Amino acid sequence: MSVFQKTGPLSVLHAFMDASRWRASADKEASVHNDMISLYVLETGGCEGCAMEVESLCGSAFALDRYGFRRVADPADADWLLVTGAMSRACVQMLERVWNAMPPGKSLVAVGACAVDGGVFGSGYATIGGLRALTQVRRSIPGCPPSPQDILLGLQRLAGR
Amino acid sequence: MSDMGKVIRSGERVALSHYSLDAEQWEAMLAAPGATLPLLSCWADEHRVYVLLLKGDCPLMASTAVEDRRYLAPSSRFPAAEWGERVAYDLWGVEAMGASGEGQPALDEGVWEATWPLSSRPGPGGQAARPVPGRTVLPAEKSGLTGPLELSFDVVRGRVQAVSVNAGLAHRGVLHRMIGLTPEEALPLVSRMTAGGFVAHPVAFCRAVAQARGLQPGPGVRDCWMILLEIERMSVHLFDMARTARAVDAGLLATHCEHAREAIAFACAEQGVSRRLTDLVRCDGFRAGLEIVPLAQAVVSAMQPRMAQLRELQSVFAPRLKGLAVLTPTQAREFAVGGLVGRASGRSLDVRRREAGMRLDALRSTGSSEGDGAARDALRLNEIRDSLALIQRILGSIGMDDDEPAPEATQEGIGAAEGARGDIWYWVRLRHGKIEAVQARDPAVSLLSVLPDILKGELPEGLPAALRSLALSPSGVAM
Ligand code: SF4
Repeated sequence: MSVFQKTGPLSVLHAFMDASRWRASADKEASVHNDMISLYVLETGGCEGCAMEVESLCGSAFALDRYGFRRVADPADADWLLVTGAMSRACVQMLERVWNAMPPGKSLVAVGACAVDGGVFGSGYATIGGLRALTQVRRSIPGCPPSPQDILLGLQRLAGR
Repeated sequence: MSDMGKVIRSGERVALSHYSLDAEQWEAMLAAPGATLPLLSCWADEHRVYVLLLKGDCPLMASTAVEDRRYLAPSSRFPAAEWGERVAYDLWGVEAMGASGEGQPALDEGVWEATWPLSSRPGPGGQAARPVPGRTVLPAEKSGLTGPLELSFDVVRGRVQAVSVNAGLAHRGVLHRMIGLTPEEALPLVSRMTAGGFVAHPVAFCRAVAQARGLQPGPGVRDCWMILLEIERMSVHLFDMARTARAVDAGLLATHCEHAREAIAFACAEQGVSRRLTDLVRCDGFRAGLEIVPLAQAVVSAMQPRMAQLRELQSVFAPRLKGLAVLTPTQAREFAVGGLVGRASGRSLDVRRREAGMRLDALRSTGSSEGDGAARDALRLNEIRDSLALIQRILGSIGMDDDEPAPEATQEGIGAAEGARGDIWYWVRLRHGKIEAVQARDPAVSLLSVLPDILKGELPEGLPAALRSLALSPSGVAM
């Protein structure tokens, strides 16, 4: 309310209305899903490129919820863990902590080349070389970085949608 | 010339801006009377310790030998050198004598396979100090950043005190991987150093390589790099504004920033390049087939009509960022914080201003001295305005010759680029065409040293907003 009183209410109102007009992605055909899949995102020591693209996907330029996904801030609410980054040795503990906090039935998705096998960074004294060094990577989305559209398509494919 | 500059230049000149000092000269540099030159970076390996300083707007580098795995600590004079000293200890096991800090590990979390992994005498792993019990921890996954960075601190009367930063989570050992490669082979690594600098890191690196080889990129390449840098600046500023806005519940501003950033990415993709301009910069110019003029025009057309609304929304929500994470002008000077954060705190460093062929009249933004989240956001928008103006100015005279002479080939070079988040510097030394030594300096590093001072007094729950407003990138800090 205070926002409207202090400044030009019309321009802010226009900004509300414009928010969907400016959307760059074409997502008009997306159907509404009742069986939402909750995503928790974890960056583990890459260049942050994949993490930033996931961030874009979760932002308002894409209507993630219309495709049946939502991002959650607590791993306890998550169905899928989206991992980005080359998995530095120091991040393994964080991965364990987050994975253990997720409820049963959870899935692990490697987003980007680094998360699968370390990508351009490989493995070394500081990195283990992606999730592959820890477990069999069954679900992955390739790219360096994959675009938000690629990530969304990958998620849909993994969800069988 | 300052006394410190004179002492450095009394050493043996080994490259265009690099002087090799003996132990006495090194000591004299650290104790030189008069002003302290701003420190850009400090690093060491088993053989030498280096400082990269700024003299006016030109780099000046000094180095000296490491004796018995020890050297006289640059941090005794340059407070921001402490981070580099700690990194050198973690990687090489070389010790800074008389260092200003408490010698906490910088990168080594105690989980590496070896201690001092790059040293000729590595030790067994798992020996680093563990976190002090009783301190409040903001775990990496809750920091609000896009990369892993952990903070620990005390809470006194509800406010944050005595912050320490755990940045090693993001360390990948990238620089070490570059050793022995040709610059062309190393470029894919540089191109993924940190996502806020997909263009700026390779440009700085390629400028350093060109200097080492005695080459001067021609005006066409220079202008293409400048345009790519400006497109990246707009996109990253929008990302940082959106993330900060989300942290203070300014959803409408965040929405418009996200849409604008996506529109830039979309314009890039439509012009046949990657959304975030990855892998376009090459050592000798740019990727074959890149049509820079239509790309620039498409980005300007996508961005220009959004500016008025972004400006309006930014001013509406600015009060929410007032007083957030203040970096005072004194701190900015002392820790040589550059980039947007420095400019919002009264430090005017912008390495674009020293570049040959720069259309200076487009850079109108004058910075601020408020140093808080609101000042940084307002400046981001001013810089986007300037980027649009600069791109249009370049398009008006693209490839304009300025007869910049090629430097002498010394196999050593220093290159810089003003990335969205600040000045990025590379130093390379080549031997038989391969990289013998390399150092990169991301602007996040200068922020790291002063972070405890900036965050002191913040509410614990306000830390993610503060970190986002500073646009700290863990991948840039730790590499
Ligand atoms: S896959 Fe590529 S973009 Fe993603 S984190 Fe790794 S290097 Fe960065």
